[in-house]
Amino acid sequence: MDPLVLGGIVAIATILVLFSGVSVAIGLLIVSAGFLIIFDGPRSLELMPEILFGKLDNFALLSIPMFIIMGASIASTRAGADLYEALERWLTRVPGGLVVSNLGACALFAAMSGSSPATCAAIGKMGIPEMRKRGYPDGVAAGSIAAGGTLGILIPPSVTMIVYGIATETSIGRLFLAGVIPGLLLVGLFMAWSLYSTWKSGDAARLGSGSYTWAERFEILPRVLPFLAIILGVLYAMYGGIATPSETAAVGALMCLLIAMIIYKLWHPSAIWNVLRDSTKESVMILFIIAAAGVFSYMLSSLFITQSIAEWIGTLDVNRWVLMGAINVFLLIAGFFLPPVAVILMAAPILLPIITTAGFDPIWFAVVLTINMEIGLISPPVGLNLYVINGIAPDISLKTILTGSLPFVACMVLAIILLCLFPGLATWLPNVIMGVAV
Amino acid sequence: TELRLSHQWSNKDIRHQVAQIVADEVAAADVDLDIKIFGSKSLFKPREQYKPLSRGQLDMTVLPLSYAGGQQPAYNLTLMPGLVKNHDHAARLSNSPFMEALEAKMAEDDVMVLVHGYLAGGFVGKDKCITKPEDVKGLQTRAAGKSFEQMLAGAGASIASMASSEIYNAIQTGVLQAANTSSSSFVSYRIYEQVSCYTPAGDVALWFMYQPLLMNKSAFEGLNEAQQTALLEASAKAEAYYLEEAKKQDAASAKVFAEAGVELAEMSAEDFEAWRTLAMDTSYKAFVEEVKDGQELLDLALAVE
Amino acid sequence: MAGHSSAVASHTGNNPFLRAVAAISTLAGWCSAGMIVAAVAITCQMIVVRFVLNGSTVWQTEAVIYLVIAATLVGLPYVQRLRGHVNVDLIPLSLPAKPRFFMAILTSVLSIAIVAVMLFYGYEYWHFAWDRGWRSDTVWGVRLWIPYLALPIGFGLLLLQLIADLVAVLIGVDKPFGLE
Ligand code: NA
Ligand code: NA
Repeated sequence: MDPLVLGGIVAIATILVLFSGVSVAIGLLIVSAGFLIIFDGPRSLELMPEILFGKLDNFALLSIPMFIIMGASIASTRAGADLYEALERWLTRVPGGLVVSNLGACALFAAMSGSSPATCAAIGKMGIPEMRKRGYPDGVAAGSIAAGGTLGILIPPSVTMIVYGIATETSIGRLFLAGVIPGLLLVGLFMAWSLYSTWKSGDAARLGSGSYTWAERFEILPRVLPFLAIILGVLYAMYGGIATPSETAAVGALMCLLIAMIIYKLWHPSAIWNVLRDSTKESVMILFIIAAAGVFSYMLSSLFITQSIAEWIGTLDVNRWVLMGAINVFLLIAGFFLPPVAVILMAAPILLPIITTAGFDPIWFAVVLTINMEIGLISPPVGLNLYVINGIAPDISLKTILTGSLPFVACMVLAIILLCLFPGLATWLPNVIMGVAV
Repeated sequence: TELRLSHQWSNKDIRHQVAQIVADEVAAADVDLDIKIFGSKSLFKPREQYKPLSRGQLDMTVLPLSYAGGQQPAYNLTLMPGLVKNHDHAARLSNSPFMEALEAKMAEDDVMVLVHGYLAGGFVGKDKCITKPEDVKGLQTRAAGKSFEQMLAGAGASIASMASSEIYNAIQTGVLQAANTSSSSFVSYRIYEQVSCYTPAGDVALWFMYQPLLMNKSAFEGLNEAQQTALLEASAKAEAYYLEEAKKQDAASAKVFAEAGVELAEMSAEDFEAWRTLAMDTSYKAFVEEVKDGQELLDLALAVE
Repeated sequence: MAGHSSAVASHTGNNPFLRAVAAISTLAGWCSAGMIVAAVAITCQMIVVRFVLNGSTVWQTEAVIYLVIAATLVGLPYVQRLRGHVNVDLIPLSLPAKPRFFMAILTSVLSIAIVAVMLFYGYEYWHFAWDRGWRSDTVWGVRLWIPYLALPIGFGLLLLQLIADLVAVLIGVDKPFGLE
């Protein structure tokens, strides 16, 4: 059978199986097993556990649970609230200042957490109730946190960047740096939209009120210090010659656990267990998808589908930007249904050769891909951040959250367009710090 | 009949070309034999090719045999410091009783060799040149291969283990100060951007790695006579090419480093002897202790002029 | 669903089988978390040895890799119990009760089948490594059956939890797909 036709059949079968409600990782294993039996013979099943184990046999994967622990341990303390309150005391005069504070807090928290749901939870637990109390519409409160939380995977450290780095063998240190400026750009766009919408709603005066004395403003600053210590510590370890990026994650995890225990008095075993339980749950979920996606990509490769698609696209005579547009649409659709890690692992091996042949920079593409995945995190039916918001504020309907986050999705699309126009936004910082690309 | 061949290299790599020659020649022989090459680790990860090969789940592979040193400790002799002096010596080793003994071990795992071949490598230093054992003392070093780790540790280096893809960043940030691997890896990972000195393989070289094209023995025996003959003839052609190109690799890598402004150092005959003496006390010793018939194998290898 | 801090476990009712399986899965979860913590500790130790003491770090990388793999595989049943493995429940959500029930049975049976396959061949692979005395090709030279043991254990326990989940739906202790 022609590998391209086969590829189409695999795609349809995968969609059918995944939509049946089976968990993503197991669904990928089922599809892989089915096609391997038919086209490679039943004996190929023997290889599945071996390949699954092999995909996990990679030191860089360590950083996934580590960066998740960083977020989860700090999220379980008062730290998120402190951060958020500090920003709020300094930004009260600004109309819509509370939303801006929350977005800023999300961005800062994202610099410590590799995962988006963790970022969303840490800031949202305090931010959403507070915004609603002060008269912000539910949609704005929920939408801004859902969207702000997605920064967790764009602003370094980032679990998805690690996965991309592993799948494509690009430098993780470089990928992290590439996310910094686009992350700031996105925060800027989010804030600009929030200010504009508050101003336009005519509530500016009401939503900007509240006053703090300068004493109150300065008094809260020391409480932001642990954050700065962690962020600087991790940056120093990573770029200062102490450890490789994957190892740095462990330093960060240890620092966060210790700070949570010592400064925020997270002594109680059950509190510590909650942190570990949440981290284990999220990490195992992600790592199992990584492992299963490894088996899936073995199947695609073994059936020569990956190679044929790359070849086929190579023969198409299309404008590279049309190609990039098509890839983005594909990623967006995949992101609606699948968690970011699964999309990256299944798409990267197929897309990377296409991207490089078309003359795009793989580091730059990682950023575009990540922003696409951020959109997926706040879009149904599988949007991890939506579940988090639902856990924090069950009475806000999904429809309200979605309408609230729609403008932020528009900001993300705008950011992708800006990145296409000015690729330097992603590539400039890594090139300055680490020298021109490897 | 379709045979599947897996390897870890890009399609520009010499080891891919070796596989490609075999595939092309066999196809030209028109004996109903088709070799499908899965390059760039698109099917199996580099270190996970030997197991499926030995279990008949994969037909052919090109890999550094020492990757399978955990399955057959004797294979560690194929990446032993100072055992091979230069490419011609390597070629003589490939046709010696030593290789026959190794092929007997492979047969235990249902594996056979189609194309023999050795590739050489060298050292890089972030701040200084590495030619003799004293040079690595106190340096954080990444070595390619277990025996090299043992020898370098014996020289007083601190061993840091990491994937070869991490070497670039680790040298850049200063986590590593020295590394040793194959000439082609140094070039493909662009290590020349981060080091001040390169000691390539020259008239003598310490680092030689046996990287044959292997086949599952049962799969070979399952072919008809015409197919077997075609495969063996193709392999002989590929082997001649492999030896010629292997010699060119070292000079080519030295050229790339020199063009990048990296200082080139040379290992003298005395340096080589100093390393070898050290290796006798460290890696050779450990090997003989670990492998039951290790001494015999080592003697066989050392007997090759 | 992969919410962050909401750990909604699957229901066990008073059924002794379901409770026993839940207890085993929870124990596996503790082991998994413990191994992740151990991986953090060993990595930090490695950095100290290398950066502060300028010593050799030969075994740490490998140990950490195997710990994370084992944490993943052994953690599978616990995460299944917490319903932490993400799924797309678009179609089940839109189905009426009866078809939804059958859909749940179908996906359960498929999941059980594939995990059973993974268990069987995982055990075989482990046994092969044990039988041949395989070691890793490093100075540390770990006997590979030790890390490979995580395959049969992890998939075995996951199989048990999946069967328990199916039983819970069949006897009505739990709702199909956990949906109200
Ligand atoms: Na982050
Ligand atoms: Na989505």
